[in-house]
Amino acid sequence: MTERIWEVFRQEDEGDPMVHAGNVNAPDEELAMHYAREFYGRRGESHRLWIVARDAVVELDDPDLLKPPFDRSHKKPGGYVIKHKLEAAKQRAAAEAGE
Amino acid sequence: MNDADTIQPMNGRPPYEPGDAEGFYAHVGSGGKVEADDWMPDEYRAAVLKFVEMHANSELMGVLPERDWIMRAPTLRRKLALTSKIQDEVGHAQLLYRVAEDLGKPRSAMLADLLDGKTKFHNVFHYPTRSWADVGIIAWLVDAAAIVSQQALRDSSYAPYARTMKKICWEESVHIMHGRDVVLTLMTGTASQRAMVQEALDRWWGPLMQMHGPPTDPAKDKDLHWGIKAKNNEQLRQEFLSIYVPRIRELGLEIPDPKLRYDETEGRWHYTEPDWAELKAVVTGHGPASEERLGFRRVNFAETQWVRDALLGNATAAA
Repeated sequence: MTERIWEVFRQEDEGDPMVHAGNVNAPDEELAMHYAREFYGRRGESHRLWIVARDAVVELDDPDLLKPPFDRSHKKPGGYVIKHKLEAAKQRAAAEAGE
Repeated sequence: MNDADTIQPMNGRPPYEPGDAEGFYAHVGSGGKVEADDWMPDEYRAAVLKFVEMHANSELMGVLPERDWIMRAPTLRRKLALTSKIQDEVGHAQLLYRVAEDLGKPRSAMLADLLDGKTKFHNVFHYPTRSWADVGIIAWLVDAAAIVSQQALRDSSYAPYARTMKKICWEESVHIMHGRDVVLTLMTGTASQRAMVQEALDRWWGPLMQMHGPPTDPAKDKDLHWGIKAKNNEQLRQEFLSIYVPRIRELGLEIPDPKLRYDETEGRWHYTEPDWAELKAVVTGHGPASEERLGFRRVNFAETQWVRDALLGNATAAA
């Protein structure tokens, strides 16, 4: 029997996302379930378990997307440095109010 | 977590049997979560669907006022930021339509209902934009008002929605920074730039105060009762005012409501009663830009029909 790799995803608590936990090596779905049960379920540490055949996983590994060569700082909160502008605006507002 | 003396089911199924509505409501009432493939009563399913569909519609329609300004952005960086924000919001619509689809209504039906004016989208997207300051006020304050309610939705009893809100809130925090930066740049500029921001704030304050909706009776609010949302309309408005009134005022901007004040003893904001009749008229499609926005969506939908035909393999229509 050929062995297959099965990726295991677990939900730790109700409402949590399914997170990759590890994988098991088993010839079929039934045995994969048994292994996953033993490795990731025995202590009641998983609320839900998903078992997915590794060859069913599609990977997207485009470096232009994952590590873009251009400046993308406008897409992140840290790309906006407002400290000095905020200080200047507050000072001007305070000076105007004091007039 | 589990009681050692009892054997727990391995599949994480909830502590009620399919068809047991009473058990279901006890579960969500005590903070329990619901997944897409769990059994749920039809009225809960319908309520979540309605809520998420309206949210998705708002994300999709909300980009149109901003779209008008892409070609008029003052610098290349602003153009990149605005385009990126618009891309994010359309992405939010896609994520949310997917959550709604899983509850049983096809995306095509949701888009058809939106274009026919049968379903709603947020009041603030029914108004026109007049100046570049509107772009700043929308990204800063409209998104801020939205994030106040979206942060509370991260605790929704409907878990796929709650998880989606975590991603959305992270992206919205960037939009708020972009908006605040636009406003600050104008406020540290010339007198006419400052006047432009004040004029935009004057126009947007009314719709902002209406945005969370009129106060509701918490006892009768089913969405609240079932944990679909975690906070009521007035709580959200109060929270928005507490954070943003000081931030607006410190810039020397004047909020156009003479009655607006914080009562220390009551611990709440007082304000002029928002125009609820206007809110009702606007969200039912009678706002100043409602027709124009839906009209644009209809034209856009027709123009992109060939893409759907090609992707869905509708050979007859594509031929």
